Amino acid sequence: MEKIVIEPWIVDELTHEFFVPDYIEQLAEEVLKSYDLSVRSIQVVTTKPDKGGAIWKLETNSGPKSLKLLHRRPTRSLFSLGAQEYLVDVQKARVPPIIKTKDGSNYVEAGGKLWFVAEWIEPLAPVTKDLEGAKQLCYALGEFHRLSKGYIPPEQAEIASRLRKWPKSYEKVITKMDWFRSIAKAYEETAASSHLLNVVDIFEEQAKRSLERINQSSYFELIKQGNAYWGLVHQDYGWSNGQMGENGMWIIDLDGVAFDLPIRDLRKLISGTMADLYRWDVEWVREMIKAYHEANPISASLYEVLMIDLSLPTEFYKNIKEVVYEPELFLNEPTTTQLIQTIVETDQSKWPVLEEIENDWKGVE
Amino acid sequence: MKILMICTEKLPIPPVLGGAIQTYIAGILPHISKFHDITVLGISDSSLPEQETINGIHYVRVPGKIFEIYREGVVRYVESNQFDLIHIFNRPRLVMPIRNVAPKAKITLSMHNDMFNPEKIDPEEAKAVLGEVSNIVTVSNYVGNVIRDLYPEASPKIRTIYSGVDTERFLPGNHPKMQKIRNEIRRANGLENKTVILFAGRLSRNKGVDKLIRALPELSKKFKDLALVIVGSKWFSQEAVTDYIAYVRALAKKLPVPVVTTGFVSPDEIQNWFAAADLFVCTSQWQEPLARVHYETMAAGLPIVTTARGGNPEVILINENGLVVENPEDPSCFAEKISQILSDKSLMRRMGEKGRELAVSRYQWDRVASELLEVWEQSKAVEQEKTDEEHVVEAVTVESVTEEGTKEQVLDVSAEMASIRKQLEANFVQNVLVLQAKLEKAEEKEELAKHIAKEKLEKKMKKKLAKLEEKELEGKKKIAELEATLASGEIGQEEYEKEQAAIQTQLVEMRAKIVEEAHEQVDKASKEILEKVTPKRESEHKKQAVEQSNIVYEDNVEQSNVVYEDNEDANVRKKQRDKKKSGTRKQKKQKNANIWVISSKK
Repeated sequence: MEKIVIEPWIVDELTHEFFVPDYIEQLAEEVLKSYDLSVRSIQVVTTKPDKGGAIWKLETNSGPKSLKLLHRRPTRSLFSLGAQEYLVDVQKARVPPIIKTKDGSNYVEAGGKLWFVAEWIEPLAPVTKDLEGAKQLCYALGEFHRLSKGYIPPEQAEIASRLRKWPKSYEKVITKMDWFRSIAKAYEETAASSHLLNVVDIFEEQAKRSLERINQSSYFELIKQGNAYWGLVHQDYGWSNGQMGENGMWIIDLDGVAFDLPIRDLRKLISGTMADLYRWDVEWVREMIKAYHEANPISASLYEVLMIDLSLPTEFYKNIKEVVYEPELFLNEPTTTQLIQTIVETDQSKWPVLEEIENDWKGVE
Repeated sequence: MKILMICTEKLPIPPVLGGAIQTYIAGILPHISKFHDITVLGISDSSLPEQETINGIHYVRVPGKIFEIYREGVVRYVESNQFDLIHIFNRPRLVMPIRNVAPKAKITLSMHNDMFNPEKIDPEEAKAVLGEVSNIVTVSNYVGNVIRDLYPEASPKIRTIYSGVDTERFLPGNHPKMQKIRNEIRRANGLENKTVILFAGRLSRNKGVDKLIRALPELSKKFKDLALVIVGSKWFSQEAVTDYIAYVRALAKKLPVPVVTTGFVSPDEIQNWFAAADLFVCTSQWQEPLARVHYETMAAGLPIVTTARGGNPEVILINENGLVVENPEDPSCFAEKISQILSDKSLMRRMGEKGRELAVSRYQWDRVASELLEVWEQSKAVEQEKTDEEHVVEAVTVESVTEEGTKEQVLDVSAEMASIRKQLEANFVQNVLVLQAKLEKAEEKEELAKHIAKEKLEKKMKKKLAKLEEKELEGKKKIAELEATLASGEIGQEEYEKEQAAIQTQLVEMRAKIVEEAHEQVDKASKEILEKVTPKRESEHKKQAVEQSNIVYEDNVEQSNVVYEDNEDANVRKKQRDKKKSGTRKQKKQKNANIWVISSKK
């Protein structure tokens, strides 16, 4: 068992949707022997073949559980497992409790990766896709952030912190704008090339401006407070990882948590929601921020950073970045031109909204 | 000496999987093992036994890959084995755990990149480490200077030892051993009659091969026979394709010149690609320590175009063995420099020859080894000197307290020395005052500087005074002996006077020398401290730190194991401390000046 090393696997037309290689299935069975559970059924529910991760749902004598194979480095996984335990045990947050092994451990190491079993929370239902739902999500997110403060990772864990990396990630966006331009130029015969070239300068300018602003903002003062002060961001929060349970909102899939300024999750949720609306709506944005603020108050300087982060052209970046993979396909896809068009239009409605709410937090302590 | 060399947790020794540090160690082992009893501690690998002895060198291998696991194995090994000197490669974080289990061994460090940066090692630990090690060798001035900027107190311990290359393995393409290989490779890859530009390195944004690819359309208009060879293992990778690799591939696909991508090339075959090429381009965008490819290129007799980043330009004699691109973000700057070389065939040839000459004369492994041996000897000597000096101080004290018979002379000496002492004290106090005046402006490093100032200056003063006292005593004793021999009639008055004059002259000279040295040393020490605490332009500093941390991340993702939180909290705490302190500073200044005067009167 020691010699096996779990690696990403290839999926193609011949493999079914939730295909997991046999040796990993066997490891899963081995792993379950470490638990005091009698498993009635085991079923794959999610896979990450490109990374080498998977989730199984277990039916056991003590109710439904999830078994997760974490694809990250074991030391990185120790960080998120510690966080999950802290949130449940210390902060009584609504996140799934981890089931201990027979030896009282949080996890099992097999195939060079960490595995763990947690409660399967049932029933869970997504909130409605309207402003009310969005506000519920925001409030729950604020609550999660507030409760995650004070987390001290176990000694062997590597510290996942994005706190200091904002300027670097802004720079990365700028760099990649240059990549998009180079590729569009090199593939000038493709259908979307000229459309991309027409707009890339605008978004590059926006990103440069965001970087300038973050470099002059209170960001550097804020991050001096340190990791434990700010707590954790979820990094993958939205309508599926925040769901309504019997006694309130539950937050699941904590494997990517990292120390950061919490509003990064909020920014993602807002810009993603606006993209779904195809336009920026000042009422939604205000209400979402307000709902969050009620659960985890935002200071004036944190609000400033939120405004800057919202100014970054994340939607353009997020949607175009795959152009590097198969430029010919991507740039000849009829939807790509449409996609660029939509992003540009949505972006145009963003600026009046940001301007309008710019001073909302004036005077807030 | 019995010496333990500790490698990193990444790759095994011998360098079956390559690696710059591993290559370095393998390069120097045959030379250093002639002089010392060497044990190499590294990571285990399925292809290598846990222990073996080859050519008198002992290899011990413990599980690695993950730093924490490796550290445990290393500590356990050092705990149960004795060494005179332990040389650690690029892992300052191993120093304190090793010091704990090897309290007597000298510890030296080799630094190959930025592992002293605050993201990599907690500043508190870093300071302790710098105190424990007797010497630090770095692969470039750049690497050393980054450490100096962060920890000025380390400065005297740092020395650059440029790496080396096997000049028998890396040979020019026209060398008899290589001609056939060169032709075969060129034939097999459609490179006959081409001018081959070579890039070898990781496919990452830091290494920047995209800039070269983007320079090629322009170059290909001017030079009709160009071809590009990219030696980089991840080119064909299916699973680990990063956005960057995808980007580079997409660009390469559209190039108007042939592009040969080799995929993984075994480390022991890489020289063949150098022999097959005509020009090497290093496109590094990040502050690189100093890439090995520079040495390999020189040995292979190729002209090199590199970037003004990190230590890379340190081995370039501009226009002699290569050119330096000052603005490496801009592909057209590469086009310009490459074009400069390609359009002058005789320059191109001369550069290659010069490179080969430099490799043979300066960058061979025996030179690296002998410089490292020097450093080890120095570490040993420093330790020795330290213990000697301690003995001297002890001896003087013992003598002056216990030997009743010489009491008068001691007093005498003290009286004579009073003015010297006063003079030195004045010099010392003045230095301390100047320092403290400057320190008011240098908040951040105040603590550190105060510490050094007090310790360093006091120590130097005391040592010198002790030595002075000792010499004075010696002189007085000699005169007393001389008097005794005169009294006993063994020597005549004339001889006595002559001898006495000689002793006194000697004494005066000695005294002057020691006093001068003391002044010099105290002045020098305070000047050094001043330089260190002179406040840096903060924004620049910050920017640089950010830049460096970026690089770090992409390059050493696996290593980002450091507790950021501690650093930040430490900073906050320090700021608070500093604020509190400024109020009481004046009072303290006075006190500090007094402390020494009082203790010196003892």
